[in-house]
Amino acid sequence: MRWLALIWKSLMRSKRRTLLIVGSLVLSVFTVAVLQSLLTTLDTITNNPNSGSRIVVRHKAGLTQVLPRSYEAYLRQQPEVETVCAVQWFGGYYQDPRDFFANFASDETTLFQMFREEFGYNQLSEAQIKEFLRDGTGCIVGDSLAKKHGWKVGDTIPLTGTIFPINPRLTIRLIFKSPKLSDENGLHFHYKLLEEGFPAMKGRCGSFWVRVRRIEDIPRLVERVDRHFANSAYETLSETENAFNLSFVKMLGNIGAIIQGITLAVVVAILIVTGNTMATAIRERTTEIAVFRAMGFSSARVLVLLLVEGALLVGTGALLGVLLAHGAAGGVRASVGAVMPFFADFAILPPTVAQCMGGALAVGLLATFMPAYAATRKPITEGLKAVG
Amino acid sequence: MILGALLALPFLAYLGWLVWALVAYPIPLGYNLRSLWQRKLSSLSTAAAIALVVGIFVVVLSLAQGLSVAFVSSGRQDQALVLRPNARFELNSTVERDRMRILKVHPLLKRDSGGESMASAECVVVKLFPQWDGTDTSVTVRGLEPMGRTLRPQVQLVQGRWFRPGLSEVVVPRKMQRRFQGMELGRVLRMAGREWEIVGTFEGGGSSFESEVWSDVEDVMQAFRRDVYSVMLARLETPGRVEGFSQAIQADKRLQLEVVREADYFKELTKAGDPIKILGNLITLILTGAAIFAAMNTMYAAVAGRTKEIGTLRALGFRQREILASFQWEGIFLCLTGGLLGSGLALFANGIQTGTTSFDTFSDVSFAFTITPGLMAQGVAFSLIMGLLGGFLPAWRASRIPLTEAMKGG
Amino acid sequence: MNSDRFDLGGGEPIITLRDVAKSYWREALEIPVLQGIDLEIPAGAYVALMGPSGSGKTTLLNLIAGIDRPTGGSLEVCGHELNGLDDDQLASWRNLHVGFIFQNYNLVPVLNAFENVELPLLLTGAGRGERRDRVEQALALVNLTDRMRNYPRQLSGGQEQRVAVARAIVTDPDLLVADEPTGALDAKNAEEVLALMERLNAELGKTIVMVTHDPKAAHHARHQIHLEKGVLDRTVEVNR
Repeated sequence: MRWLALIWKSLMRSKRRTLLIVGSLVLSVFTVAVLQSLLTTLDTITNNPNSGSRIVVRHKAGLTQVLPRSYEAYLRQQPEVETVCAVQWFGGYYQDPRDFFANFASDETTLFQMFREEFGYNQLSEAQIKEFLRDGTGCIVGDSLAKKHGWKVGDTIPLTGTIFPINPRLTIRLIFKSPKLSDENGLHFHYKLLEEGFPAMKGRCGSFWVRVRRIEDIPRLVERVDRHFANSAYETLSETENAFNLSFVKMLGNIGAIIQGITLAVVVAILIVTGNTMATAIRERTTEIAVFRAMGFSSARVLVLLLVEGALLVGTGALLGVLLAHGAAGGVRASVGAVMPFFADFAILPPTVAQCMGGALAVGLLATFMPAYAATRKPITEGLKAVG
Repeated sequence: MILGALLALPFLAYLGWLVWALVAYPIPLGYNLRSLWQRKLSSLSTAAAIALVVGIFVVVLSLAQGLSVAFVSSGRQDQALVLRPNARFELNSTVERDRMRILKVHPLLKRDSGGESMASAECVVVKLFPQWDGTDTSVTVRGLEPMGRTLRPQVQLVQGRWFRPGLSEVVVPRKMQRRFQGMELGRVLRMAGREWEIVGTFEGGGSSFESEVWSDVEDVMQAFRRDVYSVMLARLETPGRVEGFSQAIQADKRLQLEVVREADYFKELTKAGDPIKILGNLITLILTGAAIFAAMNTMYAAVAGRTKEIGTLRALGFRQREILASFQWEGIFLCLTGGLLGSGLALFANGIQTGTTSFDTFSDVSFAFTITPGLMAQGVAFSLIMGLLGGFLPAWRASRIPLTEAMKGG
Repeated sequence: MNSDRFDLGGGEPIITLRDVAKSYWREALEIPVLQGIDLEIPAGAYVALMGPSGSGKTTLLNLIAGIDRPTGGSLEVCGHELNGLDDDQLASWRNLHVGFIFQNYNLVPVLNAFENVELPLLLTGAGRGERRDRVEQALALVNLTDRMRNYPRQLSGGQEQRVAVARAIVTDPDLLVADEPTGALDAKNAEEVLALMERLNAELGKTIVMVTHDPKAAHHARHQIHLEKGVLDRTVEVNR
C-alpha cells in the first residue's frame, strides 16, 4: 500500500457518494467539453492556415449584392496577386430544401489553383480534372458530401436554385478529399452555366477570391483595392478569408457569450457540489484525521492527502466526462454538423481536453482546500473527542 | 405526446399521493424542514447548484421562446405571400412589375372599406449596419407600400412619423437602436449611395419586423437599382381562402408564381432556431442529471446522518410510508428552494437584447431574453421533478431503516 | 501498598514534567485543568493515570503524548523538550517515539488489519519489504497473523483493539499511551488486551501510560497515579 492506494481507499469509503458525485461531474464536464469544443471549432474556421494567403473581395453593401466581372482584370493586374477566381454562392438544394450544403458557381479556369490545399490538388487525377473542364455541366464535389448522398463520379444530380431561378442538372466529374472535413461539404460548377441560365448574372459575380504571393502584402493590397473602387457604383469590401469567415460566424450572434455564461454557471455548480461533498467526507473523518495526526502525520501531509483525494475525485469525473464527449463528437458532427456546416469538423481537441481537466482539477483543489485546511488546523485533542 | 403522458402518469400519481399524505398522515414535516436548516451549509450549497441548473434551464427556454416569438407573431393565417417558385425566402424572390400589376387586382383579395385591395408590393434587400460592438451585421431593409403597414397591425409607430414616398426616409425599430450605431431619430443612414433620414421608430410586438428597417418600396428599388419587386403580401377574406388563391395563382400560366400562407412562411423561418433549441434542451437535460445526482447525494447523507433519529421516529409509531413521504418532501423542499433561487437568478438575463443571423435569409433577427412568470414557473416545476427523482431513493432508504436502529449506540 | 508521593523510583526518567499547567479558555473565562504538575516517570514504567472525570487525567496524557501543549511548565519526553518543537517536529517526534491506543480503537474502516498497522510506517521511509516484515511481526505479537486481511468490521472488538495495539508498536516506539483502552470491551476481551499490554511492558520494555477509571485495569499497571481536580493526589505502587 502506498499513498495513492491509501487515497483511493478513502475515496471508496462511501461508494455510493463517490459514484453519485462522479456521475454528476461526468455530466457537467461532458457539457462543458462539448460547448467549449463548439467554440474552438468556430475559432479554427476563422483561423484556417491555408486561407492565410487568400482575400475575398465583395460588394460593400452586403452579401446579396453583386460586382461586375470587369473588376477581375484590375485585380489580376496587381503585382501581389497570384490568381483570381470568381465565386458565386448559388444556394441550391438537392431534393430536400432543408438539407443545406454549400454550392457555388465558380470560374473553373482558376478554381483548382485557388483552392489547391482544400481540394488536395496533388492527389487529383489529371484525367478527371480535364473531364470536368471539358464538360460545361460538370461539377466537382467533396468526398463527405458525395458519401452522404451516395454520389459517384459520372452521376447526374439536379440542383434546385433558390436565389437564382434556374435548376441546373450537373454531372459529377471529380470527387475531392480535403484535409478538413468541413471543406468536403462543397460543390462547384462552371460559372458559365449560371450566366447562361440566368442572364442577369452575365458579367457579374458576388465575390472574387484572390490569392496573393506573399501574406505580408495583404494589408496593402486590400487597402488599394477598396480605395480604387471607393467612389464607383459598386464599392468593394476586401478582407482576408479568415475575416470573411468570421463574419459568418458572427451571424450566430452571441453564442459565444451564451456558451461562456453556461460554462461559468456549470463551473460554479461543480465547485459548490464538490466542496459540499468533500466537506461531508472530511467531517465524517474528523476523528480519523486526528488519529492520523496523532500517529505523526504532519498537518501539511494530511492536507496534501485530502487535496489529492479531492483532485482524484474531480479528475476521475472530468476524465470520464471528456472521454464521453470525445465519444459523442461523432454524433455532434452528424447532427449539428448537418445543419451548420461549420461543425462538420467538430472534435474535442487537446487544448479543450487540457482546459477541462485543468479547470476541473483547479476547482477540485479549491473546493477541497477549504474544509481540508480547517480539518488540519483543528486541535488533535478536539478531533479525538468528536466520537462519530 | 401519448408516450409522454404515460410516462408522466406515475409521476403525477406519486405527487398526488404525496400531497394527500401531507394532509392525511401525521407527517413530521416541521422536523424535516428544521433538519434542512440544521444542515444549512450542505442544504444551501445543494440548492445553489440546483439553482444554477434551473437558471440555465429558464434562460435557454427563454432564448428558444424569444426566437419563436419573433417569427410566430409575425405571420397571419389569413394573409399570403406571393413569391417566385423555389425562392423559399423573400430575399431570394423576384416578382416583375407587370406580374405585380396583375396580382394586385386579383379578385380573390380582400378589399378595405375604401374598396382598395389589401395588398402590398414589397422589395427586400439586406445591408450591413455597424453594431455597437464594432462589428457589422446584415440587416433586412424592406420597401413597402402604405397598405403594407395596414397588413401588419402589430407594428406600431412609437416616435416621429412614418416615411413619405420619394423623400428617402426610413423608420427603424426601437429594439435595433440598442444594438446598432447611429439609429437615433433624426440621424441619417447611408445606404446604396444615398442618405436616408430616420423619421420614426416603431415597435413590432416581438415580431421579426423588429429586425428590419422600413422605407418606401419605390425609393428602395430606385436606390438599390432593382427593377423587380421581391414579393407581394396580401390579405384574403378568411384563412380558408388562402388555399383557393394559391390554386388560382398556380393555374395562371402568365404568372409562374407561388403562394405561401404568411403564418407558414414564418413557421419555416422558426426552424433557424432549431439547432440552438435542440442544443439548449440537451444541455439542460444532461445538467439536470448532474443536479439530480448532487441532490441524491445530499439526501443520502442527510438520511445516513439521522439513522438513529429515524429509528426513534419509527419507535414512536410513525409508519414506513409516513417516513417515506416526509423525507420525500424534504428532498422536494431542498430542490424547490434551488428552483426558486434559480428562477430568480434567471431574471438577471431578462431584457438582454441579442440577435442571430438566419442562415436562410442571411439577415439579422434580433430578440430579447424575456423571462416571463410562465417560464419561471416552469423552472420551479422543473426543480420539483428534480426533487422527486433525487429524493425518492434516499427517502425510500429512510423508510426501510429498522426500528432497532433507535436502540443502537453511537 | 506504598504511598511514596510521586516517586516511582527506578532508573533514568523517560518522562519529566516540571510545574506543568494547562487551562482552557471558555470565552473570557480561564478554566484551569492541570496545575503545578511535577512528575518523573522512569523508562520501562507502566503507569495508570486515575481520577474522577474532570480531574484532568486525559489532558495530562495528551500533554505527555505531545498532541496538546501545556499553558505553563515544561515537559521532557523521550529525550526531547516538547516546548522546543514546532508542530511538524512534534508530529515526527510522535511518529518516532509514541504509540497510541484509543478507547474506540480508531482503526481506519476502509483499510484491512495489515494496512492499518502499516499506516505509521508509511512515514518512516521504510521500504516495502521492511514494512511487511515489521507489520507481520507486530501482528504476530498480538496473535492476529491469521486476520491480517480482515477489515475492521469483520473483527470483534477485542481483535480490533489488538490490531490497534499492533499499530501502536509497529514503529517500535519507547512510549505507549492508552486512553481507556478497555473502555469499550467486555471483561474477557479487556483482560486479553491488558495481558498483552503487560507483556509489552515486561518483555519489550515499553513504557506505558494508561488513563483508566477501571480499578481492574489499573491493577495491571505497576504504578497508579491519582489526580484530583488538576493536581497529583498520590501514587500507589501496585503489588501484583
